[in-house]
Amino acid sequence: MKAERPRHIGARIQRFEDIRLLSGSARYIDDIRLPDMLHLNFVRAETAHANILEVDTSGLADLDFPTWVFTGKDTAGLSMKAHQDYPEMQYSEQPLLAEGKVRFVGEPVAVVLAEDAYKAEDAAELVFVDYDPLPVVGNMAQARDPESTPLFEGWNGNVIVQRQMKGGDLEAAKAQAAHVIRRTYRTQRQAGVPMEGRGVVASFDKATRVLTVWSSTQMPHLVRTYISEELGLPESRIRVVAPDVGGGFGVKGQVFADEILVAWLAMQTGRPVKWIENRREHLIASIHARDHEHTLEAYVSADGRLLGLTADITVDNGAYSTYPFTSAGEPGMVGKVLPGPYDFQAYEATFRAVATNKCAIGTYRGVARPSAVFSQERLMDDIAAELGLDPVEFRLKNIIRQFPYRNVLGFTYDPGSYAEALEQIRELVANDVAEAKASHACAKTRIGVGIACFIEQTAHGTPDFTRRRVPIETGYIAARLDMSPDGEVTIDLGLQNHGQGLETTMAQVAADALGIGPENVFVRHGDTMTTPYSVGTWGSRGGPLGGGAVHIAATKIADKLRAIASHLLQAKPDQIELSDGKASVRDKPGSFIEIRKLARIAQRNVEQLPEGMTPGLEAHASLDGPADGSYANAVHAAVVEIDIETGKTKLRRFVVVEDCGTILNPLVVDGQVRGGVVQGIGSAMFEHFIYDEECQPLTTSFADYLMPLAPEIPNIEVHHIETPTPLTPLGAKGLGEGGAIGPAAAIANAVANALGVSVASTPLNTNAVWKLAQHIRDAN
Amino acid sequence: MRPASFEYHRATSLEHALELLAEFGEDGRPIAGGQSLVPMMNFRLARPGHLVDINKLPLNSIESDGQMLRIGALTRHIAYFDNPLIARHFPAFLDAVHYIGHPTIRRNGSIGGSISHADPTAELAAVCVLYDAEIIARSTAGERRIRAGEFFLSAYVTALEPGEMVVGVELPVPPSSSTGSFIELAERSGDFATAAIGVSIEFSSGRITRASIVCSGADLVPIRAREAEDFLQGKPLDAAEASEAARLFATSIDPVDDHIASADYRRGLIGKLTQRAIEAACNRALDK
Amino acid sequence: MIDITLEVNGVTKTLQVEPRRLLADVLREEFRLSGVHIGCAHGACGCCTVHLDGTPRLSCLTFAAQCDGASIRTVESIGGPNAEHMLQQAFKSEHGLQCGYCTPGFIMTLVPFVEEMVGQKRMPNDAEIREAMSGNICRCTGYHGIVAAVRKAVGTRLESGV
Repeated sequence: MKAERPRHIGARIQRFEDIRLLSGSARYIDDIRLPDMLHLNFVRAETAHANILEVDTSGLADLDFPTWVFTGKDTAGLSMKAHQDYPEMQYSEQPLLAEGKVRFVGEPVAVVLAEDAYKAEDAAELVFVDYDPLPVVGNMAQARDPESTPLFEGWNGNVIVQRQMKGGDLEAAKAQAAHVIRRTYRTQRQAGVPMEGRGVVASFDKATRVLTVWSSTQMPHLVRTYISEELGLPESRIRVVAPDVGGGFGVKGQVFADEILVAWLAMQTGRPVKWIENRREHLIASIHARDHEHTLEAYVSADGRLLGLTADITVDNGAYSTYPFTSAGEPGMVGKVLPGPYDFQAYEATFRAVATNKCAIGTYRGVARPSAVFSQERLMDDIAAELGLDPVEFRLKNIIRQFPYRNVLGFTYDPGSYAEALEQIRELVANDVAEAKASHACAKTRIGVGIACFIEQTAHGTPDFTRRRVPIETGYIAARLDMSPDGEVTIDLGLQNHGQGLETTMAQVAADALGIGPENVFVRHGDTMTTPYSVGTWGSRGGPLGGGAVHIAATKIADKLRAIASHLLQAKPDQIELSDGKASVRDKPGSFIEIRKLARIAQRNVEQLPEGMTPGLEAHASLDGPADGSYANAVHAAVVEIDIETGKTKLRRFVVVEDCGTILNPLVVDGQVRGGVVQGIGSAMFEHFIYDEECQPLTTSFADYLMPLAPEIPNIEVHHIETPTPLTPLGAKGLGEGGAIGPAAAIANAVANALGVSVASTPLNTNAVWKLAQHIRDAN
Repeated sequence: MRPASFEYHRATSLEHALELLAEFGEDGRPIAGGQSLVPMMNFRLARPGHLVDINKLPLNSIESDGQMLRIGALTRHIAYFDNPLIARHFPAFLDAVHYIGHPTIRRNGSIGGSISHADPTAELAAVCVLYDAEIIARSTAGERRIRAGEFFLSAYVTALEPGEMVVGVELPVPPSSSTGSFIELAERSGDFATAAIGVSIEFSSGRITRASIVCSGADLVPIRAREAEDFLQGKPLDAAEASEAARLFATSIDPVDDHIASADYRRGLIGKLTQRAIEAACNRALDK
Repeated sequence: MIDITLEVNGVTKTLQVEPRRLLADVLREEFRLSGVHIGCAHGACGCCTVHLDGTPRLSCLTFAAQCDGASIRTVESIGGPNAEHMLQQAFKSEHGLQCGYCTPGFIMTLVPFVEEMVGQKRMPNDAEIREAMSGNICRCTGYHGIVAAVRKAVGTRLESGV
């Protein structure tokens, strides 16, 4: 059931949320102020692996202001339990405050509360912790050593989980292969860094016995459920509110120990409690991402056809399993997506997560796919180089062209534009390729062009989660719509907005179904008290599932409006068109009634309703993702210019051809792609979270952890192909993460092209590029 | 991430500031723009018990008597951009200022603050060493002039005694037949330099008569490339031997190996930047 | 405690502060200006940029005690509650913001830059615009919409001759 004439879907309208954001009147977590509020400061572990001998809080007694202090003894038994129900996964929990042991620098050991935030920090400095150090498990090799000190009681070594995925006849592929190409690729540890850090405020109302928790989160309902289960309160007595959120990127798409802790503290102290994360805490103790090593082996026929692939995948997980996706999530995702957009039917992947004394890995934009696509696309270029084939030609030879396509693991890809996007990119960078080639004789400056071709599973549905046996069982999004007697519509959306323009795009969807203007639709989100249960905004599902749910609910109301109008105008319901605020009879100009009037009749002048119709104009809908999700596709191309003598690499051009199905708002889509691309550029060239051998973090501020600034970024060109999917009501696929997935691969391929070498790891900072160019300097 | 407590004092005159600094000794720090000091305080890595705010002191000036250029300690970094004295006589200085931080830092940071903080790669510290500047320090005991080469002792360590503060910097004005350049490489625009080279040359009849070369990134303080300077003496302005001068310098240094960059890279980079800075200075000389 | 008098967005107030209180915190708490955002507290991200006596200044690197007698402006004074300043309108039309957290810092940094270009009667090139905002980090937009917004704002002013 589609709207008569989509007018607002696809329109480039400006965002409704912008006025409050631009004028400084948005309300973020640190703007939540409550009377008698206490401010929280953490005492965090300064050593990476140790038994706690004593937590000495006696210094607080001398202070001339009141403080409250809690340690792991007080919160004993409360923890984050993020486990996948497989025999191969070793079980662990993350206590809210360290119990007897610390496992990474930054782990919370105690909390100090005071009435003033500055004083809380003063007081926290007076807590002294005595540690008995344990051997540090500092990297993948150490973690895989069966003799390494286990991080958890009862563990056998530090491999958290190791599993396999396979499909097809790998032996046949190996037998037929004329070429076997084996490579190892490495992507570095990164942090997500939204500009607003995390924060939690909690308050317990003794009268109503309602616990209210504000959190800068992407998944308020899941936070509510966890608090309920862990603290033993009914969900009906817990309200979680995500206020305006200053960026999420998946970093805020976890349920964190501190959310449970702040809630618990509010109940313990009987006062509202506030915690605002500082930048150092964010960098060392929120979540990290992308710390991967992949060894791939490709089996290729004599004429350049990919026959099969094996992969061995290791993720340096850090100490704890994050909720709800667990330590198995990241390596499992690599195993799942490595087949990519290429047509081959023999595959085997072994994937593991290992525990080290570092911050835990969690979901950050792209979630494992930036690393997987780095390996996949570097391998494609490495194979092409070995066979002497043009990289685009080689990909076109192997790209999937027929849909639906059932891949080697049994996932079905819905229609996409994989080959068309490749061909478009080839045309768009043709001049750069020629210029690059000409520069390869030069010893001072080299130009390189690289591409990355990939698909992204978006909006995956419940079967995908139940298959994985993760604590999060589903992926649906729900919406409740209500048209008030004045004809204005409220959407209570299970999604939560943190920059992707949902207050506008969802209004556009509703407006089309209802024949009103987007400005007549008010989108509310983030508050579990008013919004229907949903998993939150992550996993590229806002457009397809949120928009889909809004469309279905709006259509239910539209149907009722048509029924009322047909009754009043004496026409058949299928003759009624809703458009421009009117319900009109098709082919009978002059025969119409204003939607506003229908809304009033439906709820006030109910004597005019058709016989048997109940008053009200509200509808609820929830939309689950397609079983295998819907696959967006894109090709990224990077043009680099390298100063051979210094390694300084300038990104001259970055081009994207992407297909996310039906576009809801081009302004928003372009913004999502470009923002993702720049984070991807950060992954490729600048961002590296570094620990020393004792797992002491070295990059603990923005002076050391470098993100792209405006001068480093070229104009990012974005081109769209629209292949609507039959799997979602609007034909939209997800797109929130795609921009971040391709750049590391594209830029690495460009550097490899410029220098005539293989590139096996990121980041490609000036030191790394300089090293890769050594042979050119030597030859000179 | 907020500072520890301190007492705040607003200096109404230079004498007042010096009295306060004498009183507080090691526990007192002057504060100007705060661009270097306050981040350290917010991280609680610096915890002075007393801050003496010197922003109202009349130390914001750039003057020359023909022989010496005197820059007041509170001169903000943007002041150099349209100053004809700097443009005419100190091109390497002007080049260097372009690399400092970003626009808001340049508006609010001061030369006194920058060199007192003594970050190993601070552009203005390198410039002072390049031009053999004299750092003018004052205390209640009087004035002390410290040669730039002796002022920077180590990373974040200067020759300033407790109670002393920088009031100005004096640079000898090079002769009219002189020029220079400053080249820096940082990971992103405005970042702390991985390495930077400043060159100042005097020339006559198509040859270099005197060369001064400073390097940031080889050590914990800016250092002069003496062998290269000596080598360039008398060499023609076509800079044909810039690479040899650079090689002499690069082989003499022992840069550190850390998580930011390898020693090999630092050495290679410093060699290359030295060559380029010499070539750039010589090209400017040929244009004159 | 120190007595200071601040004029903020045209409103003058005398208050007592601990010397160590950051200007950013005083503006947020005592003056209830939620448009001042703290992104890093060490001067590297630009989110906290305000105008101090007419000049952009990082309020996380400024002690309120240093600002006695000063005139301060925050984003709330630019364009009012409906964000009517033409640079704000340009951010809106060119999609120069997504989550909005860095946005006040960009606005306060770029308003003087736009004025400077209009004063020089010229459109800055891409490199100049990006250099002008090189002290501000945005994690959402990839900077593209912000550069476009600056161009739009300067262009509109140059065209209208104002």
